[in-house]
Amino acid sequence: MKRTLLKLVAAAAVTAVLSGCATGVKYQDMASTIPAIQADQGRVYFFRSSSMVGAAIQPEIRLDDKVVGKSEPGGFFFVDAAAGNHVAAVSTETEKTLSFTLAAGETKYVRSSPSFGVLAGRIVLDLETPEKAKAELPSLAYTGAPAKTQASAK
Amino acid sequence: MQPAGHIRRTLAVLAVSAATLSACAPMVVSTPATLTAAAAPRDIEIRGHTTIALPTGYSRRLEAGGRWREMGRLPEGAVFRPLDSVFSIEGRQAHEAWLVIDGTRLVGFYLPGEHRYSTLDPAIQLNLGGL
Repeated sequence: MKRTLLKLVAAAAVTAVLSGCATGVKYQDMASTIPAIQADQGRVYFFRSSSMVGAAIQPEIRLDDKVVGKSEPGGFFFVDAAAGNHVAAVSTETEKTLSFTLAAGETKYVRSSPSFGVLAGRIVLDLETPEKAKAELPSLAYTGAPAKTQASAK
Repeated sequence: MQPAGHIRRTLAVLAVSAATLSACAPMVVSTPATLTAAAAPRDIEIRGHTTIALPTGYSRRLEAGGRWREMGRLPEGAVFRPLDSVFSIEGRQAHEAWLVIDGTRLVGFYLPGEHRYSTLDPAIQLNLGGL
């Protein structure tokens, strides 16, 4: 009985690890090819730390009601948007939103992270400082759409 | 009660409290606001750590040494955005927020992504320095 339980726990842990971590090109390997921001736009980086806590919760992230990616542990992606006001949102057992303003040429960093919920975990969004985001990004994997990098744009 | 049982009960209470806080936190109360651009923007520095207890039950901390730039005025006070950091307030939802300061008192927050104002009651005395 005890051995069976241990196997189940191990299997659950392996499953969690396999399903929990984002895979893709690391930021540090693609940073030099990320295109510059257009003059009338700003850029929003969405990222999530690599952690097994709440790893199974991977909701879509919307920006102004348009799905732009998913909240995946260890993953990041970026979206260029017109300068102005924006609302980012995720829906799990409840909807959590973050409103912010974006200036032309500005880059903002939005961290998604798991939190307690009443019936299930949830993902919350908040602004992160450029300093902390830039320290974390290099180890994260790109989970966005195939990037229009400087190299592919040529 | 056994010590282990006491710990379990405490943990359960903490877990329920955390869940309740995040699930049932009230909305940030705000009203429409029109920011008037600052004629001569100035920078200020917050000289001491300040903890802000938000009406929603969440708290925020202003770090000592943080620099803020005046972006304009509301009837309630001058509006400052962080120069080297980010700031948001949180209730049921999260909102980027700029400080609204009347003299040396933090009286509320301007939500730039929504053009709204949220009052902080009671206001908090800040230790400010001009740059």
